Amino acid sequence: MAYQGYAVQQARRPAFYERPFPATDDSRNGVYFAALSLFGKQEGDGSPERGKKGIAMTKKQKKLVVFITALCGMFAIVPAANAMHIMEGFLPITFCVLWGVFCVPFLVVGFMNIRKRLDENRQMMMLLALTGAFVFVISSLKIPSVTGSCSHMTGTGLGAILFGPCVTSILGIIVLIFQAILLAHGGVTSLGANCFSMAIAGPLLSFGLYKLLAKSGMNRKVNVFIAAFAGDLFTYCVTSFQLALAHPSPTGGFGYALVKYLGVFAPTQVPLAVIEGILTVVIVIGLETYAKDELKGIGFLKGAQNG
Amino acid sequence: MAMMGGGMNGEKKEIILQARDLHYAYSEEKMALDGVSLDIREGEKIAVMGSNGAGKSTFFLNINGVLKSESGEIAYRGEKMTKKTLNHLRKNVGIVFQDADNQIIASTVRAEVSFGPMNLKLPRTEVAGRVDEALAYMNLQGFENRPPHYLSGGEKKRVSIADILAMHPEIIIFDEPTAALDPVNADMLEEVLGKMAEDGKTILISTHDVDFAYRWAERIVVFCGGRIIADGEPLEVFRDSEVLKRANLKRPMLLDIYEILRGQGLVKEGMACPRNVDEFAALFAGKL
Amino acid sequence: METYVQMGLGLTAIAMGLQGIFQSGWEKRRHGHRHHRLGHKHDGAVFSIDYYAYASRLRGWNPGFKALFSMVCLVLCIACDNAYVSLGTILLMGYITVIMGGLSFRRYISLMTIPIVFLFFGSVAIAVGVAPFPVGQYHVHMGFFYLYCSDESILATLRLIARAFGAVSAMYMLTLSTPASEVILVLRRIHVPRLIVELMNMIYRYIFLMMDTQCRMKNAAESRLGYCDFRTSCISFGQVAGNLLVVSLKKGNAYYQALEARCYDGELRFLEEEKAVTAGQAAVAVVGVAALLAVWGLTV
Repeated sequence: MAYQGYAVQQARRPAFYERPFPATDDSRNGVYFAALSLFGKQEGDGSPERGKKGIAMTKKQKKLVVFITALCGMFAIVPAANAMHIMEGFLPITFCVLWGVFCVPFLVVGFMNIRKRLDENRQMMMLLALTGAFVFVISSLKIPSVTGSCSHMTGTGLGAILFGPCVTSILGIIVLIFQAILLAHGGVTSLGANCFSMAIAGPLLSFGLYKLLAKSGMNRKVNVFIAAFAGDLFTYCVTSFQLALAHPSPTGGFGYALVKYLGVFAPTQVPLAVIEGILTVVIVIGLETYAKDELKGIGFLKGAQNG
Repeated sequence: MAMMGGGMNGEKKEIILQARDLHYAYSEEKMALDGVSLDIREGEKIAVMGSNGAGKSTFFLNINGVLKSESGEIAYRGEKMTKKTLNHLRKNVGIVFQDADNQIIASTVRAEVSFGPMNLKLPRTEVAGRVDEALAYMNLQGFENRPPHYLSGGEKKRVSIADILAMHPEIIIFDEPTAALDPVNADMLEEVLGKMAEDGKTILISTHDVDFAYRWAERIVVFCGGRIIADGEPLEVFRDSEVLKRANLKRPMLLDIYEILRGQGLVKEGMACPRNVDEFAALFAGKL
Repeated sequence: METYVQMGLGLTAIAMGLQGIFQSGWEKRRHGHRHHRLGHKHDGAVFSIDYYAYASRLRGWNPGFKALFSMVCLVLCIACDNAYVSLGTILLMGYITVIMGGLSFRRYISLMTIPIVFLFFGSVAIAVGVAPFPVGQYHVHMGFFYLYCSDESILATLRLIARAFGAVSAMYMLTLSTPASEVILVLRRIHVPRLIVELMNMIYRYIFLMMDTQCRMKNAAESRLGYCDFRTSCISFGQVAGNLLVVSLKKGNAYYQALEARCYDGELRFLEEEKAVTAGQAAVAVVGVAALLAVWGLTV
């Protein structure tokens, strides 16, 4: 979404220049000048020779120009759909299993919790299914965005605030399975990792923050916004963490990889988190205006409504 | 008129279901059912009419056993129903709900239709047989593996009827079946209703369509404010302008036309009022 | 080295080109095509996968068998982490889905581009390193740090991309030939807790209902200029979403009554049909997996 602007901004940095390195030959380094010439800025180290070299493009440089132009164009076409779902096959097999195992205790707790509620009231099944479908539908809707490209909510914050983290973990993993099957967002092998970041970590933080801030007497709207925003952001951090663990940088190790992933996803995820926060507020307010009785009447949302 | 009245009363069939003085309230202020009593006899074709909120749907849910009336009693074939025998009621009284989307639960047509029979704990082969039979009855062969959510409105309606047929209930209730159907599908529905009547099923239909009720029903029950304000043969009910006014009903068009023709002397006294277009045409068969 | 860069450029350009072409082509087609009456009423391509699954020629195959086959290939592709095995998986699965399953090639490719954004960000971060000092064959100074990449990192990235697409194609083999309801059935067979399976069944059904409701509400809001600018859009979106939950919760009661009217007693029981695995299908799977293993054996 916002990435196009971001790329241009980076390229215009005054200190954008290259330095020779023993292991490289000059013509290869020259490709970076293509990028400079693309944006018409030559403020680098001011070396006229290098500047010329950059402007007189080699075949490879031309390719790079095409490449970058295409990249910029790509963001006009490709929807930034649920970019934080780790895709199928992206994680090595050990990490797939490991993250799956991490999820198990949380899912078991959620499962027990749901079963207890169901034993009390069988009708709860219907409501749980409806809420699950609701979270899926919300997460599959195109949300309004400034650039006109389409993105989606995660719905995690909303789920946690309304239904609590236990229910959200179980509904979350079901929703993730459906997203993989019906929408090709995420995947089966990355289910564990995605479940951990989206159905467990994010909702837990959202719920915790929401409760904490509610106790401290914070304005409800601000509270909901912060909880949803932070949950979304946290999901993105956890995903970056997972990616960095799976693909550490060969030179800098895990730490650098983490910085890289955080940086690379930030331009899309931070604005998305803000939008998610806003939308969650609007939805929660909407629900409270015309559904307070329903939600309370069922006794389903009592944990959340007393905030 | 005389032709229609006499027959039924002459050889009264056995009462299947007997509701006595049912009371039911969703909230404390307003009674949804305020002393409803009704006998349903074998093979009857009953149209249940009345404005929205008159208590029709509540009554259906009560005689199906989903809602438990606060006072009053329901007897099925002479046996009084208690909380323990509720499933007996559910098994023998089937409801086709107004909105098929609220009824369809499974993700293939076969699974959907099998839901009722499976709940009756029948053996699998028997269930499979009933499902095939119900699908054939509703002309749904070839739809077995289709998912309900990709079906059209009319097809969904057929599935929701097959749902109930597969349970082999004695009484089938249709809650406003024509509400969301296009004319062709509504015709299809009437055909199915005719077929069911031939098979001797007892049918209750709630509807706002006076013309339909007039041509189809043998008996009309009118609800108003949680009570039954009229219960009788169609002609009798539709000629009672007081009842029509209270229940927000209108006279069927054929009846109006018949009266006009009679007023003009075009129809002889003693000629029965036609119930459908065919009967109407027969009225003039010799003259035009 | 040059070849890798070219490959990378080529792949990206192809992917983007395809995305552009197919997206526009697809949109055009879906309005003219009768079948899409089912698929297009919601947001874009949301349910095309499920719809194609119902239309697939492989739908008659036993879902458990398809799931097993696809998972074996998926795991093989990831576990081997070998470019040739990945390419083999892509070709094999593509063959099965498109040629045997009868899905149009254009649609298949356009579905393949769904995860491309993630793939782009994810692999750029792997290909390009950050370091406080210049390393690698290619690097660029960004003020106080360097971006660099090397032949190895580019190679590793390309391998990863191939692996990811191999995995996606294996998954597609399953999802583009098996409707979600049958996938749920498989989950039941492998003894996923009954509660979860039933929840999934109902959620699957409700997703479509809610999508319909949402679509109608959104149209109603749109017809009253509810999406005229960003601010209004946000408010409308939130209101539609909030209302959606309310409407659905209200419906919950009606659903429950309808279930009870059919003797529901706490457990959803459905009749499911059994599809037999034929020798031919088994042969396809065995030969396919054997071929992948052979590729792996030969290239390791």
